[in-house]
Amino acid sequence: MRSSHDDPAGDATALYPFLTTSEGDVEAVLRDVQQSTRDKAREILELRSHVRHHEGEKLVDCATAMAEGFRAGGRLLAFGNGGSSTDAQDMASLFLHPGPDERPLPAIGLTSDIAVVTALCNDVGFDVIFARQIGAFGRRHDIAVGMSTSGNSPNLLRGFDEAHRRGLLTIGIAGYEGGRMAESDSVDHLFVVPSPSVHRIQEAQTTLYHALWELTLRCLADEQQTAETVQEPARASEEIGT
Amino acid sequence: MAWSSGIGALESVDRLFERRVEPINHVLANAESVARTCHAMARRFHHGGKLVVFGNGGPSTDAQHVAVEFVHPVIVGKRALPAISLTSDVATVTGVANGEGLDEVFAHQVRHLADPNDIALGISTDGNCTNVLRGLRESRNRGLLTIGMAGGDGGTIGRADIDHVLTARADDPRVIKEVHVTMYHILWELVHVFFEHPGALTPEVPA
Repeated sequence: MRSSHDDPAGDATALYPFLTTSEGDVEAVLRDVQQSTRDKAREILELRSHVRHHEGEKLVDCATAMAEGFRAGGRLLAFGNGGSSTDAQDMASLFLHPGPDERPLPAIGLTSDIAVVTALCNDVGFDVIFARQIGAFGRRHDIAVGMSTSGNSPNLLRGFDEAHRRGLLTIGIAGYEGGRMAESDSVDHLFVVPSPSVHRIQEAQTTLYHALWELTLRCLADEQQTAETVQEPARASEEIGT
Repeated sequence: MAWSSGIGALESVDRLFERRVEPINHVLANAESVARTCHAMARRFHHGGKLVVFGNGGPSTDAQHVAVEFVHPVIVGKRALPAISLTSDVATVTGVANGEGLDEVFAHQVRHLADPNDIALGISTDGNCTNVLRGLRESRNRGLLTIGMAGGDGGTIGRADIDHVLTARADDPRVIKEVHVTMYHILWELVHVFFEHPGALTPEVPA
């Protein structure tokens, strides 16, 4: 969600108080911009380190639950607004078309169907878009993943409520302190990225959904391997018997 | 023992996060190329240019993310800047892919939608996307400022005649994507700094 409280700072001088160069001093401005680039790179390093320590175990638990959902025939339904809508589409495509060496899994980005989204917006309202889509084709064992930097987007909260009511696994990825997503009883697994910068939040959220994908595939591969090991002796004895 | 209850699961989380450190350190060490790209973009915007963004697969969603970043600033009071993604028009993308081939989807749109004053940003995870390279070449021929975002060793885009190439030094496509997100966020955040210094935007200053 993109709103005024995401970053209270106003103009560039408030954001970058070190900028005191006179107009036209290009090299000085470039040096300041370089310094800002380094500062922002350090911010994301520190934020990922924080997320790793605070969300690491939750990532494993969540990926295990997602693997169970996929194993039972579930699909991933991903949603978000603005920049987070592109993350939802990216996440869905990562599961559905992960490249030649990885297992494809069924996944749908709910923001990709512009006809459905604009029809619902026009006829009912923006707050219902994800809830209506989940209501139309969400089913038990599906996995609903909603991403919001503020955690307050009403259409995500309603989407989670509908998903929870239908027995879907629900996963929320939020920023700041989690916003209203942190208060919702409809979110089974909540990840919160605490940063004052909406940009750094989105960057760490990208890492979180990449991690969920990687760990889910690992969990599924491990289960498959275990199942094969258990079946192996049975097959061998059958062969001996024939 | 189940995967999730083993210590191996947490170790793989640690390794996953560790893989993300060095590529960001590389951005830190190459802050100058990011700053110079910002400056060149600010000059084009200052002179009325728009940003045109394209990529395949995951980067097609990054192209849309970049467009919304510039058109609808997250920080209130920041100037909205013109940007379009060439991946959002599914009718045109699939129409060109079907008629002329996938290699032409971005070059065709650049030819008919871009102006010489504009900025082309092509994003390719491995740097080897033929249609992204063709889009950038068409852009260069038309006088646009050309920027490539690549990964790994930069691929063919890293070696092509493009004004600015920003390369994420990683092998994992997911890590490359994350570095690209940080890069384009920083480009958006810092392009505005140059607007506060109009003297840095005059035509005499080389891009």
